[in-house]
Amino acid sequence: MLNLLLLLDIVPGPANAATPVPETPQGPWMGFAYFGFCAVLAVVGAIATVASPNPIRGAMGLLLMIISIAGLFLALHAQFIAAIQVIVYAGAIVVLFLFVIMLLGSDAQTPSDQRGRIPRFGAAALFAGLGLAALTLLGRTMAKPKLPGDVGSDFGSIDSIGKVLFTDMLVPFEISSALLIVAVVGAIAVARGKHGELAEKGALNK
Amino acid sequence: MFATYGPMFLMMLVAITLASLFFIGASTLGKKKPTPEKMMPFECGSDSSGGRHLKLSVKFYLTAILFVVFDIEAVFIYPWAIHFKTLGWVGFFSMTGFLVTIVVGLLYCWKKGALEWEK
Amino acid sequence: MLLQAFAISPLLMVGIGAMLLMMAEAFSKVRGGLALGAAAVCFAGVACAAGVWMYGVETIPGIDAFSPWLRVDRFSLFFDALLCLGAGLSCLMAGGYLPEHNLDRGEFYSLLLLSTFGAMILSAAGDVLTLFLGLETMSLGVYCLAAFRRASARSSEGALKYFLLGSFAAALLLYGFALLYGVTGHTDLQGIGDAMAKGNIRNPMAIMGLVLILVGLAFKVSAVPFHMWTPDAYEGAPTPATNFMAVAVKGAAFAMMLRVLLTAFGDPRSASWASGWPPALAWIAVITMTVANLVAGRQESVKRMLAYSSVAHAGYILVGMVATMHSATQASAGVLFYLLTYTVSTAGAFGALILCGRRGAEAVTYEDLAGIGRRHPAAALPFAFFLLSLAGVPPTAGFFGKWFVFRSAMEGGFYWLTIIAFINSVIGAYYYLRVLVFMYMREPAAGAPVATPMRSGYVTAALILSAVLVIALGLTPTKSLSVVFQAAAIFGG
Repeated sequence: MLNLLLLLDIVPGPANAATPVPETPQGPWMGFAYFGFCAVLAVVGAIATVASPNPIRGAMGLLLMIISIAGLFLALHAQFIAAIQVIVYAGAIVVLFLFVIMLLGSDAQTPSDQRGRIPRFGAAALFAGLGLAALTLLGRTMAKPKLPGDVGSDFGSIDSIGKVLFTDMLVPFEISSALLIVAVVGAIAVARGKHGELAEKGALNK
Repeated sequence: MFATYGPMFLMMLVAITLASLFFIGASTLGKKKPTPEKMMPFECGSDSSGGRHLKLSVKFYLTAILFVVFDIEAVFIYPWAIHFKTLGWVGFFSMTGFLVTIVVGLLYCWKKGALEWEK
Repeated sequence: MLLQAFAISPLLMVGIGAMLLMMAEAFSKVRGGLALGAAAVCFAGVACAAGVWMYGVETIPGIDAFSPWLRVDRFSLFFDALLCLGAGLSCLMAGGYLPEHNLDRGEFYSLLLLSTFGAMILSAAGDVLTLFLGLETMSLGVYCLAAFRRASARSSEGALKYFLLGSFAAALLLYGFALLYGVTGHTDLQGIGDAMAKGNIRNPMAIMGLVLILVGLAFKVSAVPFHMWTPDAYEGAPTPATNFMAVAVKGAAFAMMLRVLLTAFGDPRSASWASGWPPALAWIAVITMTVANLVAGRQESVKRMLAYSSVAHAGYILVGMVATMHSATQASAGVLFYLLTYTVSTAGAFGALILCGRRGAEAVTYEDLAGIGRRHPAAALPFAFFLLSLAGVPPTAGFFGKWFVFRSAMEGGFYWLTIIAFINSVIGAYYYLRVLVFMYMREPAAGAPVATPMRSGYVTAALILSAVLVIALGLTPTKSLSVVFQAAAIFGG
């Protein structure tokens, strides 16, 4: 656990002891508490998202998870990403989810689970085992974490992101416009078109 | 981090405390005398009919997803605007290329009637 | 500057062509001609790739300007041409299929071209970031193409399965790359490869990253047991879109697989039988071929059979992928050649399936095709020809594709793998020949709906083009072999 925190640069570790950590004057436990708080909230939100039978509550769980993760981004000095997380995900994506829920009718319920006890609990046990194995593996790696060097005071600010995005990363930036435009065309193709579904009905066969 | 965002966390804390205080206060301090008439859904005096929830049209969804796409575009423009002067012409033309693509998408939406409500 | 633009002209051609086509569609009232325009853009992409190839891409100064984001080399040029060819054939088919089935909405061509653009980015990506952008651009377009028949519940179901499992696979892939970034501190594949060569493969985090990446790649090439979405998505999509998925999407996924495995995990340790990815890939190949061939034989729908057949072909290609551990250049040249022959044969088969059907009487099941060989020989003959090529009957292109892949596996010492692959191609011949049996030796049951072939210049053009290529590749494989060897030379060391 503490190793993860070392990577998150909340707890001053031995490798970056030279780096002054003025942000945490209260010592490591403040950062630990902050990380724990956000992480627990994120997990609670994630569980609420998948476990809640009411879809609106599920969307609210998603909102909670997204905001907690924005909090974790803050701890990683990624302020811009944290802001984007709140603006785009909490502000737009969750609203999109709510629209879809409203589209189906918010009192729509998930159909009751038809599977038997053995497949359900078996699958849960299998995935829990795999997760534990993965965690053990990761824990062994983390025993000597390779800490990134000092990231500099303006790391993660809009300033530095803009600099990198528009000089080194120009090619991916331009390509991302293709991703956006395909999303636009795809949304129109699936949700609407001038040739409505009436004309298409004749195409149905078999 | 805490020094930088301390005020923000403080504000969130105050907001959450206030909101929960109101909730707890309303549910514990308020008097509750439910009668069958009070528990009925209120609809301007007449008996209510129909489903509890309205189903939205798929148009909302299309509008929302288009909003997300153009929202992300705005996200890219913000850091670019900050560096507008230092980036020079290269930055200008790269953003022009990006914007042309987005404008093509916008024009496409428009001509396809995706921005119109009734069709 | 101008020469650099020339170097990426296939990409520019398809990207700008897609946008021009979108504007033409949005602002003009004329419906027809879109298919022709889209096909023209794709074949212009092929021509640009060929032009850059002939000019000599290595001699262009400043070709590294796009590195590491995009690697403009003979490998990516080969895939540019291959993907544009597959997309162009799909456009031609759509020109006949969509009006016939009342699906003629212009979004189809825009989506197809933008997906092709994403696929080309994917095949050229030298960095995880562009790789993911290309993958998502390609996949988003294809999800919407799969859902294009909005009135059909089956189409929506298939598209939804494809979307959910595809996003899941993309997330796994991304998680794997994130772990690798954690270990190596690099996002470009070459940097990851260099760091892995320094012994990082022993790192458990790197192993987990590799496993996740393998699973994500297996999803994308629809290898068993990650193929669940394939039959439903292929069956529900309009047939030209199915062809695009089977040809271009699979081709780009294999390009990604080659680049990721041979660049980021190409060091002697990761690419060894004892401690690397080859054994996992070999087992996936065995399961893929066997399961897909056995299930394909039991299908009643020809389209579904072709879907399983494309899964089986992914298995054969994976055999070639395993062989890359011994001779990266030669084995990946075999994979490229196989992809080439698979592209033209599959496109032909789907085109012929389109030609055999008409609105309200689409050829779907084997029964629908009964006796079509005698009634409409012009539609049945190309179908039979392309199925023989898929089955790998000499002297078609499919035979040489299998021959080179199996030979590189034999030379790598994978005799057992080659024998399994060979047995599987014999099983595969059964269901291809079954179509021929129905077409030429059966008569339709009385009162059963009978498929009647349609007439379309577009589809005929696509069929003629693929037939010419199948015959050319089958009769003179030497010329194209030298091309694939040059393309695969980037993995030489």
